[in-house]
Amino acid sequence: MYRYDEFDAQIVKERVAQFRGQVERRLSGELLEDEFKPLRLQNGVYLQLHAYMLRVAIPYGQLSARQMRMLARIAREYDRNYGHFTTRQNIQFNWVALKDIPDVLALLAEVEMHAIQTSGNCIRNTTSDHYAGAARDEIMDPRPWCEIIRQWSTFHPEFAFLPRKFKIAVTGAAHDRAAIRVHDIGLHMRERDGLRGFEVHVGGGQGRTPHIAALVNEFVPEDRLLDYLEAIMRVYNLHGRRDNKYKARIKILVNELGEEEFTRQVEAEFAAQRSHEKIDLPQAEIDRIHAYFAPPELATKPDTSDAFEAAKASDKVFARWARTNLHPHVTPGYTSVTVSLKPIGGLAGDATDAQMEIIANLAETYGQDDIRVSHAQNIILAHVALDDLPALHAELDAAGLATPNESLITDLIVCPGLDYCNLANARSIPVGQAVQQVFADPDYQEDIGRLHINISGCINACGHHHVGHIGILGVDKKGEEFYQITFGGRADEKAAIGDIAGPGLKSEDVPGALKRVVDRYRELRSGKDELFIDTLGRIGHDPFKEALYAAD
Amino acid sequence: MSSVRPKLKPETPKSITAWETATGRTVWLKADGGWTTDTAQIAAFTGEEAEERLAAAAKQEAIITDPYFMEVTETGGITGRETLRESIRANGPTVAYGDKA
Repeated sequence: MYRYDEFDAQIVKERVAQFRGQVERRLSGELLEDEFKPLRLQNGVYLQLHAYMLRVAIPYGQLSARQMRMLARIAREYDRNYGHFTTRQNIQFNWVALKDIPDVLALLAEVEMHAIQTSGNCIRNTTSDHYAGAARDEIMDPRPWCEIIRQWSTFHPEFAFLPRKFKIAVTGAAHDRAAIRVHDIGLHMRERDGLRGFEVHVGGGQGRTPHIAALVNEFVPEDRLLDYLEAIMRVYNLHGRRDNKYKARIKILVNELGEEEFTRQVEAEFAAQRSHEKIDLPQAEIDRIHAYFAPPELATKPDTSDAFEAAKASDKVFARWARTNLHPHVTPGYTSVTVSLKPIGGLAGDATDAQMEIIANLAETYGQDDIRVSHAQNIILAHVALDDLPALHAELDAAGLATPNESLITDLIVCPGLDYCNLANARSIPVGQAVQQVFADPDYQEDIGRLHINISGCINACGHHHVGHIGILGVDKKGEEFYQITFGGRADEKAAIGDIAGPGLKSEDVPGALKRVVDRYRELRSGKDELFIDTLGRIGHDPFKEALYAAD
Repeated sequence: MSSVRPKLKPETPKSITAWETATGRTVWLKADGGWTTDTAQIAAFTGEEAEERLAAAAKQEAIITDPYFMEVTETGGITGRETLRESIRANGPTVAYGDKA
């Protein structure tokens, strides 16, 4: 993984010292909240419902064991013994006192981490496929380019005060696991005539005005990527709406200009850039960054493992977990393991300090010191030998980290909602827990198959409800929580925004209503291989709407 | 700058609530003008006195941040349309978390 050079280390250290002074001035009253707010937001500090919240960047979701241990220490010493992994592959601490945050940032700097680009109207932490550099279906590793984008965008003076926040995601596999089409810029790595490059999607996003990104360029060669990104950013910076917060994202600009005109302006800017101030990355620099992401040196192994097969044959619990929580690895004899942060009735994405320590230890023992955070709020050990899976599973199980539900119906994406968030209108967590309970039976979950339920506690859509196969949106009606259901969203290469099924439901009615929908799907699917989302596509939404609103 | 919350009528009893600047803890204004983290000490104000109290609170930025009106009963109990939100601010999440989850 990437290691800081002297410049990285220096700018992070200087930023901590600068923020320490700003916090001191805020606490003395020298700085007022209106003056301080933009400064704290540039350092990942939010003021939530009942505390400050510190959002720490995990660049493209990758962590070492040492970094995970530091997160555990911060949870233990400065928070309430836990942290929350987010849908942008970051971590949030919910109870950190402002007076302590400079010390927390200093600790993070010790392990090459920070909270820069996790809030404010800048280019945020670039996200990626959580199986990057490990997946068998990957064409190219997106992480080096995520790192190049990070270095280009951090403290880029031209893009420090954008009309709104700006999110970039990169994927290098045919199957999009990074939801790139609902990002401001989504980059899909492609190969053409022996050249490597990017398919560029712009103007996707969720929130109150969801859009699937427009394809603005089918192939930008990799050495011109930064020029092309600058061209997009300049068109946005110039024409993005600064008069209305709700119309300030690039998706609105793309939509108002139209895809064709937006693309024309980007191409014109790109052409001007090429003739005046092109960035052209030297190949040596591209190679230098790529070298940090060289695959781990894995011992040669056969594609199958006797120990693994024997454990599957003798242990049904292990066999189930092996069916659901593993992903094919590029190297024979290895796999990527999902460490589920979705225990039934738990808090999606939360991990205690003790669990973080255990994950760090397991990553060192079995996982090449390589930990990933997925946008679905789970942890991944990217490179694990099949031979080691029985021992790994036993340790995960003992720590409550072996729920066999990756991409199944109980693997819900859930935002913090009104239990934590100052923007939320309704709670998400208890509704997610109640939905998990009705589908808790693991046989039932496996029979249902891959089905993504995503919940947001407000229209800002941090819980990705628009792109859930089933989406749940919490709304407030005169002080009462209601939940609007959507069908048909998806976040992959066939990305789609879900359609609202009808009137909102009371929280207590949501689990039963979704069970009726899912059971209707099981009656109507053409076979067990047809996923819910595909049945929905084949026969339409009406039978499911009917089931949703049917009386028990 | 206060949080944007629903507007309350002058005669509606209201408390002034904010976040303690140093820690982020939820605080409420007591009758004696001090701040408390104890909901039993929430004071209710109405009319011009409430407006004056809020204006005075807004000047105490070193101690508290973003004060705003919160609807309460005459005895300072949380009530009204934002009861759920304000109860969560007062008592924490409605779900067990961390080691308790």
